[in-house]
Amino acid sequence: MVLARRSTVLLGGSGLLVAMALLSLAVGAIGIPLKEVVDGLLGKHVSTEVHEIVVNLRLPRTVAAMIVGAALAVAGVLLQGALANPLASPDVIGVTGGAGFGATLLLLALPQYQALVPVGALVFGLLAAGIVLMLGSTGPRGGSVERVVLAGIAIAALFSAGTTSLMVAYPDRVPAAIGFIAGGLVSDGWASSTQAAPYIVAGLLGAIALTGPLDRLALGDDVAASLGTRPRTVRLLAGVCAALLAAGAASIAGLLGFLGLIVPHLVRLASGTGSHRFLVPASAIVGAAVLLLGDTLARVVAAPIELPVGPLMVVFGVPWFLVLLRRAV
Amino acid sequence: MAWLDATGVQVQIRGREILHHADLRVERGRVVVLVGPNGAGKSTLARTVAGLQPLTGGGVAWDGTPIAELSSRKLALLRAFVPQHAPVPAGMTVREAVELGRSPHVGPLQRPTAKDAGVVDAALDRVGLGPFATRQLATLSGGELQRVRIAVAVAQASPCVILDEPTSSLDLGAAAAVGRLLRHLAADDFAVLVVLHDLALAAAVADDVVVMHHGRTVASGAAADVLTKERLAGIWQVDAELTTSPGGATGLHVDWLAPPALDPTHHPLDAWETTA
Repeated sequence: MVLARRSTVLLGGSGLLVAMALLSLAVGAIGIPLKEVVDGLLGKHVSTEVHEIVVNLRLPRTVAAMIVGAALAVAGVLLQGALANPLASPDVIGVTGGAGFGATLLLLALPQYQALVPVGALVFGLLAAGIVLMLGSTGPRGGSVERVVLAGIAIAALFSAGTTSLMVAYPDRVPAAIGFIAGGLVSDGWASSTQAAPYIVAGLLGAIALTGPLDRLALGDDVAASLGTRPRTVRLLAGVCAALLAAGAASIAGLLGFLGLIVPHLVRLASGTGSHRFLVPASAIVGAAVLLLGDTLARVVAAPIELPVGPLMVVFGVPWFLVLLRRAV
Repeated sequence: MAWLDATGVQVQIRGREILHHADLRVERGRVVVLVGPNGAGKSTLARTVAGLQPLTGGGVAWDGTPIAELSSRKLALLRAFVPQHAPVPAGMTVREAVELGRSPHVGPLQRPTAKDAGVVDAALDRVGLGPFATRQLATLSGGELQRVRIAVAVAQASPCVILDEPTSSLDLGAAAAVGRLLRHLAADDFAVLVVLHDLALAAAVADDVVVMHHGRTVASGAAADVLTKERLAGIWQVDAELTTSPGGATGLHVDWLAPPALDPTHHPLDAWETTA
């Protein structure tokens, strides 16, 4: 029964991912038939215009959406497992607040360095998470989950206050930062994905290595320690990997932390399992598919105006999530 | 050589000395029961010898090797620890939980083998959970969950199993089932160290009883020799007597309402009694 549900989630998620990837390449200001999209991807002969739109314009954005969706969902799995807290998301360890501040700082106070926004988001996201994890995992009693959560709230508030202060100081430039804070993808080629790729790949590899230790941690710190796992080390490594993933994602697509909260829960509710060996790959697939769906909708719902994907996903995602939650809990 | 040998163990937690001097020896094939009043340091001693709580003095050796020289993984192959309480993760079946017990035997990039699956099956059968293998942990009773935790330790296949108050929240039948299981483990050549509050159960399952009081081990030996009327009065502050029938049934006859003996080591609750 559980196995059948897992297979359904994996196959369904993979099918949705492929379908959404093709759809996101096909729809937009100029619609392109699916056959030509596939031909273009396979390097077969298509018109120069189709090649330009599919391969050079839309493909980088489609791939970026998949990377960001997978990264945020896996970051959520890691944090929810490591902190044994179903409310954990990249917001909890301060990544979102730090990345928002880093991007806003460059966009508002130093607009001449606007090209460095992804780097600023990445650096400040990792800095915020680093402070939270250091405060939460050191000290007289060796740190605690509660301290990580409370430090995360405090640091996030600090960086949020910094972001708000920048907006007050530079009110005329605020519109430039709105897009980043709302969260969304842009068609700017491969630059931001390439920049964030090493961090996201490191985070994903770390997440795969941590699936076993996180499963043992689910049985409690004492049982995990009995089985040869070091609970504090696992929590710290999970936090570091989640920070790499979430900061990398923020550097590509701004603040989309909600995805990291909701996707792991969707996968758990649909599959009926809490095993991290399943949750990590399944959430990566579903997270990528969900962000592709959100980004495609954001492009076509009010075309030619492009809606910000962050709020759109929250508006569409929350009711669906609440229905699932009501059935399962 | 004892499988576990602990001498002069001292532990401080947050600057307060919890264990002053504790000695413990556990051999394979025997059940050693740690008893003592609340706050005596039983659980701290069990956690310390298991490597879950750092020592501040004394020594602990597993199979002759000092605990400080053992890696986490190596220690996991020498002893298993069953905590008094543990979270019940959602979305995990009984079998999946017990499979985690094989972790120390499975490398980071390896998958469990058919042999591991066989050990898991045997562990489930050993605790009587075979028919429950596909049940979600969240649907089990307290007694069944305790058996799952013991099955995880059995699947770990370490020669020593340490259990911290495994019967504290169980009904009479479930506690007796745990007691029988402990004897079966000893019969299978496991070294068993268990913390118990129920002195009648302790007398029934123990080869050796170790009494703790105020952070020290104060007596050890056969239950009948150690749990004397005088010691029960001196340490637990009750007028009680341990009895064993010719058939092996144990009982603790307690004069529940008798006033406690006037002893400098009086029970903390007596302060409430005298001021109420």
